[in-house]
Amino acid sequence: MRVLAILCTVALSCAAQNVAKHGEQVFAKSCATGYCHGVKGGASGAPRLAGRGFNQAYINNVVTRGIPGTGMASFSTTLSPADLKAVVAYVATLNGAANTEVEEQAPSGSVLTGDAARGARLFKEAVRGFGRCSTCHEVDGFGISVAQPIAQVPASVAALKALATPDVKTGAVDGESMPVLVLSEGKQGTLFYDLTSTPPVERNGEPGSVKFADGSTWRHSSVIGAYDDTELAAILAYLRAVIKP
Amino acid sequence: MIDRMRFWVILFTIVMITISAAPAQDAGATHADWPHYGGTQFSWRYSALDQINTANVKALTPAWLFQTGDYAENLQTTPIVENGVMYLITARARVFALDAATGREIWNYRYPEPARSVPGFVGNRGLAIGDGKVFFGTKDNYMVALDQKTGRLLWRVNIDDARQCGCNITAAPLVVKDKVIVGGTGGDGAHRGYITAFSTKNGRLAWRWYVIPGPGEKGHETWKGDSWRFGGGAPWLTGSYDPALNLVYWGTGNAAADFYDAERVPAGADKSKDINLYTASVVALDADTGKLRWHYQEIHDDEWDWDSAYEVLLMDREIRGRMRQALVHMNKSGITSVLDRVTGELLGVFSVPEVQTWISGITEDGKLVGRNEPQLGKTTTVCPTAAGAKSWNSMAYSPRTGFLYVPVNELCEDITPNNAPADEGQNYMNGAFPVKLAPGRTTYSHVDAWDPVTGKLAWKIPYKYVLLASMLATAGDLVFTGNPEGEFYALDAKSGNKLWSYQTGAGNRGGSVSYSVNGRQYIATSTGWHSSVVGGALLALFPDQDWRLGSTLVVFALPEGSR
Repeated sequence: MRVLAILCTVALSCAAQNVAKHGEQVFAKSCATGYCHGVKGGASGAPRLAGRGFNQAYINNVVTRGIPGTGMASFSTTLSPADLKAVVAYVATLNGAANTEVEEQAPSGSVLTGDAARGARLFKEAVRGFGRCSTCHEVDGFGISVAQPIAQVPASVAALKALATPDVKTGAVDGESMPVLVLSEGKQGTLFYDLTSTPPVERNGEPGSVKFADGSTWRHSSVIGAYDDTELAAILAYLRAVIKP
Repeated sequence: MIDRMRFWVILFTIVMITISAAPAQDAGATHADWPHYGGTQFSWRYSALDQINTANVKALTPAWLFQTGDYAENLQTTPIVENGVMYLITARARVFALDAATGREIWNYRYPEPARSVPGFVGNRGLAIGDGKVFFGTKDNYMVALDQKTGRLLWRVNIDDARQCGCNITAAPLVVKDKVIVGGTGGDGAHRGYITAFSTKNGRLAWRWYVIPGPGEKGHETWKGDSWRFGGGAPWLTGSYDPALNLVYWGTGNAAADFYDAERVPAGADKSKDINLYTASVVALDADTGKLRWHYQEIHDDEWDWDSAYEVLLMDREIRGRMRQALVHMNKSGITSVLDRVTGELLGVFSVPEVQTWISGITEDGKLVGRNEPQLGKTTTVCPTAAGAKSWNSMAYSPRTGFLYVPVNELCEDITPNNAPADEGQNYMNGAFPVKLAPGRTTYSHVDAWDPVTGKLAWKIPYKYVLLASMLATAGDLVFTGNPEGEFYALDAKSGNKLWSYQTGAGNRGGSVSYSVNGRQYIATSTGWHSSVVGGALLALFPDQDWRLGSTLVVFALPEGSR
């Protein structure tokens, strides 16, 4: 890289070279690791990437989409957009690209700060196990979408605790009564979430075997006990920052 | 009245003692069925069937075969057989119920491809049956239950968001009474491993045991700072169960970061004592509550990815003149521990690979001598490798010979650690470790027979390439396994002499089983060994070979009328 740095004014724009340099770090951490690609694109568990004649569009395609049926996963959600571009640029340099035609970009989206940043962490904090919000809500690419996407963010912690949940019904399944979210009813069966405990269980009842009635004793306040009020306020700040009405 | 009561109490006590002492020689053997991943939940991979034996195995011939049509990856599965029906799962979670005598399909179920891309490798090592259901884990990290009779989906539950934890399920679950218990992957990433139990009836959470104790819990002090949050330890294979003790046994993975320990080991920690609990350990959990009963850490501060996640074989053996309820467990280093399964006390230890440079030796009480540790800024060559002196494929145990049958690979690696920070769900091995052939050899693997009581090698059969298929032992004094060239073969359990072989057409990376239907004994093996992860990495060491793709179950029996 030192040689490249000296030459950067000649063969490669310095901005693009910085991107590739960053890409080298991303590659070392996310690609040349485990049982996968080798150091600097050499062969290891996964195929060699250096000197294969890959162009940037192809590399970008594989990195973002993965190769179905192989160990090559899509990195579109696991790497940030900036890291993705950088690693594509780096692998392109391994394939002889003189100018990777990539400009360093500001990170996409707004950067969260303060309470919102703390809320983002709390929303899916692993140490809370099945008590975290992401057990039932998907926001910003993380979490399980048991509930419908959050359209309106409650105005206060009190409002969050008193949240009306008209979608939650009372189901009668095999002689047992339980709070449920119905997904679909059809000839194949009745698909619903059993909300008796966390995590919710997606269940498939025989057609006509499950009966539902409106209303439920289930309360949203009963599943957010892993957080105190300050934490819930931070989570609401996060949701306000990322969910646009 | 009192006397009659006393009589019944005494009789009951005698019966209970007899029952609890009985498991010794037969509890680990399968008969007509092959009900669990490891055969029985003692994980011997041993069948009591002896219709096929050393005298007639030469006549063994294909009875039927089944092409799964899923060529995504290795066919890694160990089939399950119950009442003449075989249950099979492929890499992409296509599940089949087959007539075990003919291969006729009874039903099939295709787990939908995850809508969004999730991290992790494609692969599935097996399913479990119980409570009239078929259970399996998925790439997008769900536990799924199907109706065993029809293949209809009954329930599924998300274990963790795979995109966040970088974890999923490739192992077969373990069904214990009314619970289905499963461990996950992700321990080479920034993740905190756990074992989770769900109700077989409705999928509701029964318990979860975190491999790494949280603040305030015993063992937490063996972690530096906040490193426990992402300290790995994922128990990514299948455990065992002793019904008499009601204990579930599981091996736990290595600590993360794998090759760089400065962020996770407390300052001044004594490396002859427990570090980073309960990673790199064998643990005994109460089956009903998931509470830890005892632990035995095999590698204090595992800096080589030795990953104690492997199978646990439960057996009763006489050790130094005393009958012991023991277990046998090997990790990737090839170090094999024999423990008292009631208390976790170490009863014996031995090491299987011929080439071993990561330590100079191990003492009788399990202490590592001469640790050759990876160091930041350096490249350290060690043997064996993170791919395993034995990979995740299981060994077998025969109570007739008293031997363990183990496929061992002789490889080395160059470890170059780095100190990249933890990033949740992302790779956290902190090192590159290109694998290479052990120097100065012409054969790079062998099938071994070890006596776990004496720690002595009984025989060894060398092989040119690597071996990554599970072993099967039978009461016909046969040991079956397969190789990457596609040859599936039978060895004499007493001598290791090769008695029979058959070219199945593609490499063997899965499990073989034995079962019987209407009095006819069958031997079945999964074939098909494709590219990625360990299988691909190791086959890349032999670039002159043209390894073939496949995904076929091949089933053998003696010719009709020859019995």
